[in-house]
Amino acid sequence: MIDDVISEDKDKAFLFCNEAIVRGALEADVKVVAFYPGSPVSEILDTFYQISDKMDVKMEIATNEKVALEIVAGASMGGQRSLTALKSVGLNVASDTFFSLGYTGVNKGCVMVFADDPYCHSSQSEEDGRFFAEYGYFPLLEPTDPVEAKQMVKDAFEISERFHTLVLIRTTTRINHQSTIVPLTPLNRTKFIPGSFRSYNRSYATVGSRARELKAELLRKRDRLREEFENSKYNIISGDPSEIGIITSGVSYNYVLEVVRKLNINPLILKLGTTNPLPNNLVKKFLKPLKSVVIVEELSPFLENKIKALSKDVNPDIQIFGKLSGHFSESNEYNIPIVLNVIRDVFNLSSDHDYEKILHNTDELKSILPVRIPVFCPGCPHRATFWALQRAVGNKSDKIAFINDIGCYSMLLLNAKIYSKLHPDDLLLAMGATIGAASGLSLASEEKIFSIIGDSTFFHAGLPGMINVSNNNENVIVIILDNSVTAMTGQQPNPGTGYGPSGVPKHKIPIENVLKGMGFENVIINDCYDVKNSIKSFKKALEQPGATVIISRGPCALWNDRNKRTRGEKIQPFFVDNEICRKCHTCMRDFYCPAISMESMETEYMDDNGKMWKGFSSHISTELCDGCGVCSIICPYTDHENRSANDVIKPFSKKREVPHDL
Amino acid sequence: MTYNIMTCGVGGQGLMLVSNIIGLTCAEYGFNIRTAETHGLAQRSGSIYTHIRIGDNVFSPLIPYGEADVLLGMEAIESLRYIEFLKPNGVIILNDYVWQPVQSTFDRVNDSKVKYVTVQNIIEKMKEITTNIFIINALELALKAGNSLTSNVILLGALSKIKGFPILKEQLISMIPNVVPKKAIDVNLKAFEIGYEEIK
Repeated sequence: MIDDVISEDKDKAFLFCNEAIVRGALEADVKVVAFYPGSPVSEILDTFYQISDKMDVKMEIATNEKVALEIVAGASMGGQRSLTALKSVGLNVASDTFFSLGYTGVNKGCVMVFADDPYCHSSQSEEDGRFFAEYGYFPLLEPTDPVEAKQMVKDAFEISERFHTLVLIRTTTRINHQSTIVPLTPLNRTKFIPGSFRSYNRSYATVGSRARELKAELLRKRDRLREEFENSKYNIISGDPSEIGIITSGVSYNYVLEVVRKLNINPLILKLGTTNPLPNNLVKKFLKPLKSVVIVEELSPFLENKIKALSKDVNPDIQIFGKLSGHFSESNEYNIPIVLNVIRDVFNLSSDHDYEKILHNTDELKSILPVRIPVFCPGCPHRATFWALQRAVGNKSDKIAFINDIGCYSMLLLNAKIYSKLHPDDLLLAMGATIGAASGLSLASEEKIFSIIGDSTFFHAGLPGMINVSNNNENVIVIILDNSVTAMTGQQPNPGTGYGPSGVPKHKIPIENVLKGMGFENVIINDCYDVKNSIKSFKKALEQPGATVIISRGPCALWNDRNKRTRGEKIQPFFVDNEICRKCHTCMRDFYCPAISMESMETEYMDDNGKMWKGFSSHISTELCDGCGVCSIICPYTDHENRSANDVIKPFSKKREVPHDL
Repeated sequence: MTYNIMTCGVGGQGLMLVSNIIGLTCAEYGFNIRTAETHGLAQRSGSIYTHIRIGDNVFSPLIPYGEADVLLGMEAIESLRYIEFLKPNGVIILNDYVWQPVQSTFDRVNDSKVKYVTVQNIIEKMKEITTNIFIINALELALKAGNSLTSNVILLGALSKIKGFPILKEQLISMIPNVVPKKAIDVNLKAFEIGYEEIK
């Protein structure tokens, strides 16, 4: 709970891990934070968003992760404790600055939380970011739960200041997205006092011969950090002397703790909290008396490979059970059943836990279930845009290519079957990659190329690609889905929104002005809810050669509905008049709105010409409908321009729906 | 002793409020708790769950298969989807409600032989794991309490009456004012009581 994050008097609270991370930074008196949102760390941004003004923290939602890292690095060099948080693929974006930052070091405590996403809950690739720490010579801490995450964040600021280095904290989705009771210590916030960059008299510049000097210094720093980590309280050895030991880290430690209890064993366990640089001597000491060791870590064999190398010195005959032995997988998340099965085998035990049987039995029961894939929300502007685009493409489906990007619209890929005309499974790589990939495809192949990008992604990583498109007048149609916010991650404001953290006004940057500056000549701005007009624009773009940019504009429905409720405006749902519905199913066939379903009972309607319409009518859920009204435009038996009682789909209120500003 | 509760439903049904009330109560009254939640896709209409684990020796945020004491389902399809977590003869508190996924409507439009899954279809399958099933029409009861949005608290009230549930009803009630808007406190307290009375 947000109140607990800033509580002055509580000594413990039930906190979500991302809240605990914010609490840790506040207890460490953090002064500057910057982020670009990304799951599973978005709520770190969201929590700071709500409390930054109260806690006197300077906060920016940066255009992308690289800018965010640069902001906190600069702030640290300028004399303030600073923190950023980003997801695995966000670190890819930030990596150019990241590696140089290792060389230059920092001044005041500077911490970066990064989160890997085993199982790809919300990512396009399943990366193991621990390699970044090793490759960049950064200290790396890995918490096992929210309690340790909070403490590590706090300590990371101290380590950062003692070693003048950015300190990394690595979490995974299961760490970020859990809650537990977290002990709190007093906040003791101090007043913000500007630093004096000149007076620190330090250089943060690296190139050529200077870089070579810094590299030598960096290697010495790594050795000193390794020495420090040999005695870190985050590396814990527990259990009774045993022939088989277990080495683990992160969330896997929690699974190991429960599994050994389930199996009634108490073997030696080494839990590693400082995983780069690895405390080599501690690991060697642990390995020495063992006959075999089980290594439990999600994703890559990062620890396993190092442990294998270290064992050569102290215990060359030790048997290592892990990924290289085929006992654990390099992909997906672990859980108790996965860990229990391996440990039971290695320890040669028997138990009556038969997880395969449970899964086999329940899979059979579940065979009646329909899939439930995330879809665009009721009222979502993207649904309107893609309905119009499918109509415009019509029978030219085999003459187009569809290049998608990262945002809510990525969900088209999950629903590729229902949007088959657009080929949503053609190409989808990474933030902003749609633009460059479209250029390349247009050079190489004969199809007309649609390149899809959202407003936040446009600002984040689309700009260089867009300048390239304009410069070369590439034969592509770029559709910018401008819903005013970074919707996918929780509707955070972006440069086109007009406000920032705590609702403070910001200089709003209209996308059309950016495009004008880039030299685009064919720019069309559409109200995405005016689907008939959108069809015309898309058709026109299909006909004309060269670059066309279409801004399809309409506010994120979740965000817009919340704003309406805050302002006290009522959402006006629509309904289907079953008495006169012709059961043609147009509103269900290719619109895919979760608020619209089919009635279970058959009904009949005889029209004025005596024609009988029989079948299952559609139904709009009053609770779910957002009142966007697009289904009433699509309905062939509704005249949405001159609404009357004869319309099949109509709003409950007679009040005409208000179009938004373009 | 560990007590495991698996809650499931569709995004937007208010599952987070349920785990927040339980979590705050645990913090206040000295229970150890760990929960794992679905976040990420901000969209409504997706399948969501929360693992809630109460007890001193809880380390894993995820419930092992076959060990949930209670499955609390806000929506029938999503309740059966996570049935592997329920222990044999565990308790199911099921909202009498199906939220048809868009994909099912798509299939029905394209094939007249396809039918929607019903709550009855789902209960039949659940009976192969347990007979301890409580069906609750949460929306109807929430309206009786005075607000359709209190369906989640109706089910929480029902949960608090389940035999073996380690937290006292009064303890949960005492934390409700901390998590719901001021003007909605009374209606939520009423919903809790109505839900509690549903379990006989």
